[in-house]
Amino acid sequence: MELNGRSAIITGGSIGIGASIAVEMAREGANVAINYRKHDTEAKEVAKTIEKLGKTCLIVKADVTNNKHAEGMFKKVIEEFGGLDILVCNAGINIDRVIWKMSENDWDNVINVNLKGYFIYNKLAASHFKEQRSGKIVNITSINGLRGKFGQCNYSASKGGIISLTKALAKELGKFNVNVNAVAPGMVMTEMAKNIPSEFLQKAVDETVLGRIASTEDVANVVLFLCSEKSRHITGEVIKVDGGQYI
Amino acid sequence: MPFKYFGKINFTPYTKVDKFSEYLHKGKLMGSRCKKCGETYFPPRADCLKCMDDKFEWVQYSGKGTLHSFTTIHAAPKGFDDIAPYTLGIVDLEEGGRLISWIGDIPKKEVKIGMNVKVVPRIFEDIPEIKLYYTIEKP
Amino acid sequence: MKVGIVGIGHGKFGNRSDATVQELAFEPFKESIEDTKNLRREDIDALIVGSVPEYHMQRSLPGVVAEYVGMNPKSTWLTEAACASGSAAIRTAYMAIKSGIHDIVAVIGVQKMRELSTEEILALMGRVGDVQWESIFGTTFPGYYALYANRHMHEFGTTKEHMALVAVKNHFYGSMNPYAFFQKEVTKERVLGSDDVAFPVNVFDCCANADGAACVILTNEKLAKKFNETPIWIEGVGSASSQMSLLRRPNLVEIPSAVEAAKQAYKQANVKPSDISVADVHDCFTIAEIMAYENLGFCERGKGGKFIEEKQSYIDGKTPVNVDGGLKAKGHPVGATGVSMTTEIVKQLRGDAGKRQVSGAEIGLTHNVGGIGQYTFVHILRR
Repeated sequence: MELNGRSAIITGGSIGIGASIAVEMAREGANVAINYRKHDTEAKEVAKTIEKLGKTCLIVKADVTNNKHAEGMFKKVIEEFGGLDILVCNAGINIDRVIWKMSENDWDNVINVNLKGYFIYNKLAASHFKEQRSGKIVNITSINGLRGKFGQCNYSASKGGIISLTKALAKELGKFNVNVNAVAPGMVMTEMAKNIPSEFLQKAVDETVLGRIASTEDVANVVLFLCSEKSRHITGEVIKVDGGQYI
Repeated sequence: MPFKYFGKINFTPYTKVDKFSEYLHKGKLMGSRCKKCGETYFPPRADCLKCMDDKFEWVQYSGKGTLHSFTTIHAAPKGFDDIAPYTLGIVDLEEGGRLISWIGDIPKKEVKIGMNVKVVPRIFEDIPEIKLYYTIEKP
Repeated sequence: MKVGIVGIGHGKFGNRSDATVQELAFEPFKESIEDTKNLRREDIDALIVGSVPEYHMQRSLPGVVAEYVGMNPKSTWLTEAACASGSAAIRTAYMAIKSGIHDIVAVIGVQKMRELSTEEILALMGRVGDVQWESIFGTTFPGYYALYANRHMHEFGTTKEHMALVAVKNHFYGSMNPYAFFQKEVTKERVLGSDDVAFPVNVFDCCANADGAACVILTNEKLAKKFNETPIWIEGVGSASSQMSLLRRPNLVEIPSAVEAAKQAYKQANVKPSDISVADVHDCFTIAEIMAYENLGFCERGKGGKFIEEKQSYIDGKTPVNVDGGLKAKGHPVGATGVSMTTEIVKQLRGDAGKRQVSGAEIGLTHNVGGIGQYTFVHILRR
């Protein structure tokens, strides 16, 4: 098993891509910790699934924009698991508007959760990983961070910011034997996505060259690869998982 | 991890004990032991001083020791002026051998000859380049 | 077959930006020939230069020096042992004469310390000890001696006051020495109040870099009286080495090479430390003189502080030391120092030291240490 004995924190791990990452990591042998803001039922479901796989899943109520919550979560994880090897930042929101209709709050909230939240967790992980001279950080971005998306100037800005943050940190942490990478999914079939009107879903499918939409496992598999020793020589990289949606 | 990554300014690009810096990067303080006569050395040396044999093995040191002497350098040589003044300490290592390095987080008035100390491997953090060193801390 | 010194010469030490290294070497060379009786330049059959090449822009120093002083085509070469180069060169001359290969040898110790830029000198000085394990942390010359001093203070109760008293004595005598760099006396308060260089060493605990040259002419027993009525004989030569790295020394409170070299010299000369009438020791830093008292046996181990406190190293003390000002007042042109020390002892033994004369000086000693103690040369001279 690729991640046997390792411990990981996945933010936004109660639903969607995050939940899938948590479960797949547990399947590969890792103990995981996930946070939730309001999806406590879903978080407990994820924990149950993982326990059936014979691993431990800690669930922590934490708002990713809150530094104290984050510090508490790291402390708990390190105590209970005896250490930390992996951080996956995945928690993200979107509030779509054209810019002339976008309020300051619409902007701030997306930037705070999507970008500042990553800063808070990346900083805590960096401080820990550099002391132990090993670690893996994977930041979930989006192809809309590589390109601009209509109606998502806040979301695109935050996702683009994650990419440069990832690259800067790859440079700072390289000498401490820490890999920092980003994964950029295109359209992913999550519970949320199931509510999108079918014309928009079809538009997304047509954008891809493989003619399909990613499952959450498609993204999780790439995250796992970046957390394994198979990718030990990859750092500061952005890997798209978009079926060719944006080439 | 070449030896040239060791020290604030390194003057020794090549040495037979090159692996020292590789271990240091991993956080380990390593000395040498002569395979023939068993004599140990810190700092490590490839050729045994005692029996002159050239086969040696690496031995891990705990870093624990006592402070033998120290001085605070005010007038620094080239390349060290940006960190002056700094305090150099000589440590007698528990397992034998000695090293010289900087006093780390020990407050000035607590630094006393004979005190117990611990040598901690470190990586220079605020520069992009990899540069390895160690500091003398309270145990 | 004895070896004797028949001619001495000494230039002014200090800031000699008025001359090249070979022009500097010319002054004492000329003086030493004139100091003899009847010696002509062409009688000298070899020239040994004591100097540390790294400080000069000119490479291959003996080449230019031999040419300028007019020694071509005689044999010439460099002897180097850091700050002990001067004495090392004298030892080489002694060996050449003792072996019969040369009859009359001139030894010029010469050094310019100020040709390189401050930056270049700082970089050079930073590579003083073991470069592989020590210099990478920014060790310096004063730093090494400060490490000795701090340990000496810890083990024996030596104080900064003791160290300051050495500076006071040496500047007192330096003010009477026209060749010295510094001609003014200093007070203990001035020394203690000077800036920190490397705790516990202050600015006034350190000798100064200086330019300068000195020369001695040696010959064998057969020829000596021909060139000087009072040849001064080299009765004992000692030479030893210590680990370069402080990390491999047995202790930091003595210079093992000095202890060993002194033993050899005393044995060969068949004298005891208490027989020494006057000595010139290597006071690159004030603590170094205190350690020298102990290493040479002038006092017991650890009692060096007491020795200076009781003024035992003044002219009327038990063993007068550095009554020409030492490196402290003269300055330290590294290659020249050992030869300078020798000229002083020769003067004393001839009775020519004027105001600084130690009365009835019979047996003298020079103690010249290289670097941080990796070499020491001890010579015992007798009239």
